[in-house]
Amino acid sequence: MSAARNPMRDRNPLRDRVAFAGAATTGFVPRNSGRSMLSLTAQASIDVLRQCGLTAADVDGVCGSLVPAPTMQSALGIPEVSWFANPAMPFGNQVAAAVSAVHSGLCDVVLAYHTAYRLPWNTMSSLKDPFRRSSGTAGVSPAPESLFGSVGYTAWASRYIHEFGVPKEHFGYVAINDRANAAANPAAAMRTPITMDDYLGARMIRWPLSLLDMDVPVDGADAFVITTAERAADLPLPAVLVDAVALGATAHNEEEQTDSLRHHGQHVTVNALRARSSFWLDDVDVFFPYDGFTIITLNWFENAGWCKPGEAGSFLEQHRDPATGKILIDGRIPVNPHGGALSEGGTQGSGHVREAVHQLQGLAGERQVPDAKRALLTLGGFFFNAQGLTLRRAD
Amino acid sequence: MTETATAAAGQVSDEELLARFPGQPVDHDSAAHYRGRLAHRLLINRCGDCGTWHQPPRPVCPACWSSNVVATEVAGTGTVHLAIFLHQGPPAPGVDYATPHPVVTVDLDEQPGLRFTSTVVDADRERVRVGDRVALEWIDRGGAPLPVFRVVEAAGSAGGESA
Repeated sequence: MSAARNPMRDRNPLRDRVAFAGAATTGFVPRNSGRSMLSLTAQASIDVLRQCGLTAADVDGVCGSLVPAPTMQSALGIPEVSWFANPAMPFGNQVAAAVSAVHSGLCDVVLAYHTAYRLPWNTMSSLKDPFRRSSGTAGVSPAPESLFGSVGYTAWASRYIHEFGVPKEHFGYVAINDRANAAANPAAAMRTPITMDDYLGARMIRWPLSLLDMDVPVDGADAFVITTAERAADLPLPAVLVDAVALGATAHNEEEQTDSLRHHGQHVTVNALRARSSFWLDDVDVFFPYDGFTIITLNWFENAGWCKPGEAGSFLEQHRDPATGKILIDGRIPVNPHGGALSEGGTQGSGHVREAVHQLQGLAGERQVPDAKRALLTLGGFFFNAQGLTLRRAD
Repeated sequence: MTETATAAAGQVSDEELLARFPGQPVDHDSAAHYRGRLAHRLLINRCGDCGTWHQPPRPVCPACWSSNVVATEVAGTGTVHLAIFLHQGPPAPGVDYATPHPVVTVDLDEQPGLRFTSTVVDADRERVRVGDRVALEWIDRGGAPLPVFRVVEAAGSAGGESA
């Protein structure tokens, strides 16, 4: 099929018309919490609605991930909704759907949520909880030779190492930065700093990636209120405007068939987001590259344009403080200040969005980036799940 | 493979086919591929109109939208594009993750970018690399034939793909 660029791709009528009014989290634990997905998600949802000064009757849209929207509506007693949806993860899909619904007028106030939950697809020890075992989520194991899901990233990491000849330390810079940042995040699951020796000595899971290259399976939930910019301006917390949203995929979006490290979902996402957004790297105050696997983050640095293909590790080496392990691009721009998926917990992107909202609201506590005005989020991986978001503080 | 055996594999019922490949994505669009496995033939979908191969099996040709797609035997030769080693994974008969278990995605010779993923037999961690030339073999897994690869020429040796 034709690869011609859509000339209308820079059409972006939703810019500055939709806003995050608030964000809340339960925090994350790297163990079975003894709670249901619904319990965790209800807690975060009630918290964000209260912070925004809203009641159940103010919500007319519901958009979430694993917990069905009708279940959430029932649990919170939301009287009537005119729009609801459960898109696939990662969380950029929920954001894209909710923002579109608000902008198009299908609803005015969306409760958006994501539950990070320890399930067999990310940790077999989830099955020590009998209620999880009986929940119908155990599923059938694929054959060992399937590249589906996390194995696909490991496979492309082998290609990355083959093509660029980089040392494993380049991946380690991502993991060490996340852990250093998580130390200042009370919501994070893993807060004990790690050294490069710790990283290199971590248990091998699927060569070339080891335990510290992979996000942490956690229990917890994030919840958000997404509404019109006008409505958000009348609510108690500072509004965070949606500047641009993009999802990206190529025709060969299966893990094993993906074209190459130079053409996958991230490239489409970046091209679309750059065309639609009102700012790019020079004006970013905080950067959120997805980090479900370290290889994903290296690719986002390269594909967003911070450096050339294969050079992400060298770039990080130049822009990190060797004493703390923290990355500060140009001495100014923190990267995943909440600790990311590798250390706050595997939230499939909701943690990155929540931290971006809090940073732009000035509510990030001791992690606050001074005068943060604009955030770039590049969520998800390579295949059918690459996503981008630019957010800015309302003036 | 004799003609008779090939025909017998084709006569396996849908129910029997599912039973032979538990947990595998056997459906209307992939059944011909799995019937091919029973006959030790690696079948990949090819368009009967434009000749383009595609994988995994789809009901239409992604290049020309023809529904005349035919599960067609490939030579099973190719070049390793991705290579990993599993130290843990789902339980499977004959799979030892302590070894560890190699998994390769191979660029098949029939068409650039046409790939098939399986394991490699008789090769340790030091002997499987991106760029290796491989050929098809068949092993038994849980009573069903599994297409696997064997390294026939190491990466970087004469005639191999250069890094």
